[in-house]
Parts: sequence; C-alpha cells; structure tokens
Amino acid sequence: MKRQGLLLFIIFTLCLSMPSYGSDIESRLKALEETLQSQQKTIEEQQKVINELRNELSESGKEVASQPEEKPVEEAKSQKATGLFGSSVLTNPNISLILNTFAYSSNLKEEELETRNIPGYTTEGIENRNGFNLESAELFLFAPVDPYFNLYATIPVTEDGAEVEEAYFVTTFLPYGLQFKGGKFKSGFGRINSQHPHAWDFTNIPLPYRAFMGGEGIIEKGAQLTYLPPLSFYTLLGIEVLQGDNDVLFGPDAKSAPHAYTAYAKASFDIGDNSTILFGPSVMTGKTKTDSIAEDTEFSGDSTIYGLEFTYKWKPSKQQGFILQSEYLYRTQHGDLEDTVAATTESLRRSQDGLYIQGIYQIERWRLGARYDVLDLFKDDYILAGTDTDFDRKPWRATGMLEFNPTEFSRIRLQYNHDKSARDEKTNNEMLLQLIFGIGAHGAHPF
Amino acid sequence: MKKYIALYLMIFLFAAPAFAEVKVVTTLPWIGSIAKEIGKDKINITTLIKPMQDPHFADAKPSMILAARKADILMYNGLDLEIGYLPRIIESSNNPNIQPGKTGNLDCSQFIMPIEKPSSVDRSMGDVHPLGNPHYHFSPKNILNVAEGMANAFSDIDAVNADFYRNNLQLFKDRLADKQKQWSSRTLKGKKYIAYHKLYEYLAQDYGFQILGYIEPKPGIPPSAGHIEEMIELIKKAKPDAVIATFVAGKKEAEALSLRTGVRSVVLPQDVGATETAKDWFSLMNEVLIGLK
Repeated sequence: MKRQGLLLFIIFTLCLSMPSYGSDIESRLKALEETLQSQQKTIEEQQKVINELRNELSESGKEVASQPEEKPVEEAKSQKATGLFGSSVLTNPNISLILNTFAYSSNLKEEELETRNIPGYTTEGIENRNGFNLESAELFLFAPVDPYFNLYATIPVTEDGAEVEEAYFVTTFLPYGLQFKGGKFKSGFGRINSQHPHAWDFTNIPLPYRAFMGGEGIIEKGAQLTYLPPLSFYTLLGIEVLQGDNDVLFGPDAKSAPHAYTAYAKASFDIGDNSTILFGPSVMTGKTKTDSIAEDTEFSGDSTIYGLEFTYKWKPSKQQGFILQSEYLYRTQHGDLEDTVAATTESLRRSQDGLYIQGIYQIERWRLGARYDVLDLFKDDYILAGTDTDFDRKPWRATGMLEFNPTEFSRIRLQYNHDKSARDEKTNNEMLLQLIFGIGAHGAHPF
Repeated sequence: MKKYIALYLMIFLFAAPAFAEVKVVTTLPWIGSIAKEIGKDKINITTLIKPMQDPHFADAKPSMILAARKADILMYNGLDLEIGYLPRIIESSNNPNIQPGKTGNLDCSQFIMPIEKPSSVDRSMGDVHPLGNPHYHFSPKNILNVAEGMANAFSDIDAVNADFYRNNLQLFKDRLADKQKQWSSRTLKGKKYIAYHKLYEYLAQDYGFQILGYIEPKPGIPPSAGHIEEMIELIKKAKPDAVIATFVAGKKEAEALSLRTGVRSVVLPQDVGATETAKDWFSLMNEVLIGLK
C-alpha cells in the first residue's frame, strides 16, 4: 500500500512538472504569423480596392450599397471549403474522444473488492483492480440532422468492446417551449444522473446512486418531453417513458413493454451576478425483476424512487469558484423475493434512503473537493416475510479530492475514499489517480 | 386544476403578442450596446455575459437558458468565442426561433473580416480560435458592418418598424464617422505594447501600433514564472510604451511586470460596462484609445 502510494505520488508530480513547451512550436508559430501577416496585407489591399469600388457604386446608386458587405462572407466561406475534401468540414459531425483512465490502490485484496457489496441494498461489488485501470475511451458525436433535429451519440470503448451508451435525437422546432428527446439517453432524474462520468466532480458515483441504480445511473431507451414555461424564473418540467432495462432498479424481464416512468421539475434563480441556485424534486417508478438484492434470489415487484436535488454555484471569476451540491434519494419497493436454491418465495418490502453532499472549491487551475455519502439516513426498513431485518452499521463513505486542470481539455485528479459501505469491520481505503483527456470538438456541458 | 390551465393559457397569450417590443438577447455587453443604437426603445435587451466576466469561460446558467427561451432574436459574437456554453443555451432554450439558420439567430461575426485565421491549428497551441481572432469589437469598420447586419435583422423580424431601424443605422453611421475623425487624431502609429491576451489585434491593425508579445504564453494558458522572466527580458530590450491588460484578465501580471521594469501598465475595460465610464460602445472605444495614448 505504502509503496503504491509512493509510486502514485511520483507519477503525479511527474505529470505536473512535465509541461515545458518546445521552442520548435514557437518558431513555427512565428513563421505562421508572418505568413498570416503577409496574407493580411494582401487582403487589406483587396479591401481597399473593394472600398473604392463601393464608393463608386454608392455614388451611382443606393440599391447596390449593401452588396459589398457580403463579399467578405463569401470570401471566408470559400476559404473554408477548399481542396478535395474541403466540404467535409461542413458535412462531418463534431467528433471527440475522451480518455478516462486511473491508477487504483486499495488495502483490500482483489477477492475482497469483487465481493464488496452493500448488504440490504445490492450484491454488486467493486470492479476496480489494484494498479492501472482503463475506464473507457469514449467517443462523442453530435450534429444537427436537419433544421428540425439534433443528433447525439456516446460510444464508450472499453477493453470489453464498444457499446452504444447513448444515441438520441432532440427536437429544435417544437413551439411553446417544448422539446422532445428519443432514443437511448441518460434520464433527467436528479442531478448527477444526466452528467457524463468524465464531468463528475469525483471519480465514482455517490453511494445512494450505486445502491439504488448501479454504478452508471439510469441510461435507458425511451422518450422524454420537457417544457420550459416563460416564467420570471427558470422552471423546467420533464416526463419520461423508459424501457426499464436497468438491472438494479428495474430489469429487462420485468415486463415486455416500457415499464418505467419519471417526472421531474428543476427550478433555478440567480443571486446577484455570481451565484446560482438550482433545485427540484424528481420521481421515478416502475416494475422490477432483479437478482441483485441478495445472493441466490430473484425479486419481482414495484419500485419508486423520490429524489430531491440542490446545487449552489458561486463563480465570481474564471479564477475562483465554489460548488455545493447535494441529493437525497428515498426508495420504496415491494414484491416477492424468491430463493432460487430453496425454491421458496417470501414477500419483501424495502423503504430505504440515502444522501450525498459535496463541496468543490476552485482556485486558478486547482480544484479541491470533499464528499460525504451515507445510506439508511432516516429510513432503513428491509421487511422480509413480515420481519424487519436489522443490518446494523450504517453504510457511509468520506472522500477527498485534489485536481489540477492544465486546460479545459485535461484533468489530473487525486482522490481518496474512506469507504465503510460494506457494513463490516473492514474499511476500504482507496487511492485513485485519475487522468481525463479530451480531443476533438466536444459539446458544451450543461450547468 | 382548471385555474392553472387558464393561467398557462394566459402566459402563452402574453408571451407572443405581435406588436410588443422585440426581445433581444445578446451574449456580450458590446453587442447589446450596438443593438441599443439601432433598436432604441423598440427593443428590449437582455445581456447574458456580465461586463466583468471572461467571455471565453461561462456556465450555461439556467437563467440564461430562460432568457433565450423568451427571445425573439439571439445575437452573439461568433468565431467560436462562446462555444463553451452558447450551443447548450440555444438547444436547451426549447425556442425554435433562435436555432441556427433561423432569422432569430444572428452570428455577428458573419459581417466582419476575421484576422489571424490560422492555416493549421491544434490545441498544443493553446486556445487558438480556428476561425480567426474573435475580438473584433474594437474595430470601427467591422462594427459598422455589424450594425448594418443588425438593422437588417431587426427589419426582418419587426417589418413594421423597418424604417425606424434604417434611420437609426444612418444616425449611427454619422455619429461613428464623426467619432472616427476624433479617434484618428489620436495617433498610436508606431507605438509598441505588450498585452496579456490577443485582444487588441484588430485595433492594432486599424491604428498602426504593434503588439510585441503576450504575457499569456499561449491563449488561455496563464504564464509560468519562466515565461514572466522572458517577458521582463523582452520589455527591457524592446522598451514598449506600455503593458496592457484588462480588469478581467492579466491585471495582476501586468502590474507586476510594470513594477519590475518601470514600463507603465495600463488596465483597460474589455467590454462595455467594465468601468463606470465605458457605458456604451463609443465611450468604451474612447477609453481604450485614451488609455493606450
């Protein structure tokens, strides 16, 4: 553990001390600038001629006066689309690739990590391995389809292959503040769910999300309708019909039809120029069939999650900022739990909740963050065949994080987790050094 | 329930009356200032980026999305300056009228002639804008074209008042011609400066001064200690007239360089409203030109 920690530290310092820029690029830049300047002169001379012509024209007649203005635009366009494949600039979608990789170190052994679940919530363990991990190289594509639709796709490529994580269209033509989204997409439920992992403030998802819907949140095939009324403050209303494939919360076999629904509202207002508050409730309900509640069981029933989100952002300048973010989730579930070994079925009713709260402080290119997540906060009912199982030991985790962002396209993050989520005496002390790099044209991130 | 439905219907009805003032949303303050010259009391302007904010970096705040939702026309700088947030604002606004390609979507850079368009670019050069230098708002001849583009756009959207907008454009042209006489007498020809960011290239071209170097080693990347030392060397050797920065970016660095070298530092407003006196585009230009003198 110690040695690995030292190794991580060395890599980290190496990463920080690396950027010394070659003078080669500098000289090439200079040469480029010179070329540009000489081109600029030519353009200016041409502009002069154009201006003279324009003056002559405006003297001879007023109607033609507006024509010369369009000249530069035409010139600019023709410069853009030249060469054999010049038009591809206009026809290719925006493409970006984001590499998300991390080094991981835990005091626990591989076998312990694999089986490190949250009793009473989920049997899913931790996939990280001590040493080097590749989260994914994620391909993003987006472009307008036509004047009516925009298209987005997210294709993470992992060592297991490529998958279509998201592929959806968004309408741009609907009136009355309506927008329709269809395909496979991240649900608008809650706050963190719709963000991409590379945009998270910490390497991993908060405990309540992991416990209720798994490590990636709710990504489903379905349809979404949002409505933004023209009120005096921001209020976004959304509803979704989802297939319900998430195998922790719903399960593809629960029903052979769309069987999950969400509804949410998000309200926001600014306090002065620098501060913004965003908050709102969400609800998600659907049919469940899952084997992830306890070993050798299968559960069928109904599930509902209620969520409350709150975000406060303070951003007085590019150099400084602070974000306080919290979400509270409450899940109720009832149905039948079948023991697949003993072939017996009991009724199961679960009402459980969880919360995370995190703060991020940014100064210049550094960001410092802390997070606390907890389950069984106010409610921890696990009633099997009429008897409430007492699991003891509230699952919780504390996280600290330090980030250096050389530019908006690169991120180096050191994170420490003190994880007591498995309800045993063992603590999982995790250390992560995460690197995120993005190339290409990446879409703007939401607030 | 019925009461709420009635309430929403009323909101819809009030949201789109044909004869009300044109709702204009601009990203940068200077765009709002030019729009005001052309639209006067026939338009209602909301500006998304605050004068003391760096226009390269902003969040797509929900309040901005809401403003875009209600807009008849969205006017922006373009040349990728607002790429980090504006596409998100436009799509999330759920407003079909301001989508790209519609009359309510006005990219002001379409009326100007960009300079410093790199023939090849990658991000190892820093935050270089592949479409050219986006800071054209200090260039009177470009601004004139933008004002004309705005007048056309307003006339398209609000045809009833087309003559009003044309008339205001003429007034603007006359006023600018007057001002330019005054400005051109402030000779900056042959002067040399060190700047923090590539903000004054259009101005340098129009007024014949030179920017010798930048405190930022590459656009968008803050200077290292080593680069500052190089700058000090350069300043001692080339003896520029001033080190210039804005209140938003580089003030601290410029003042530190000034202390170390004795060359004066000038902190200028980068947009309308950044100082009390720069209350519109004309006074912004005035202040910058006086500052450089």
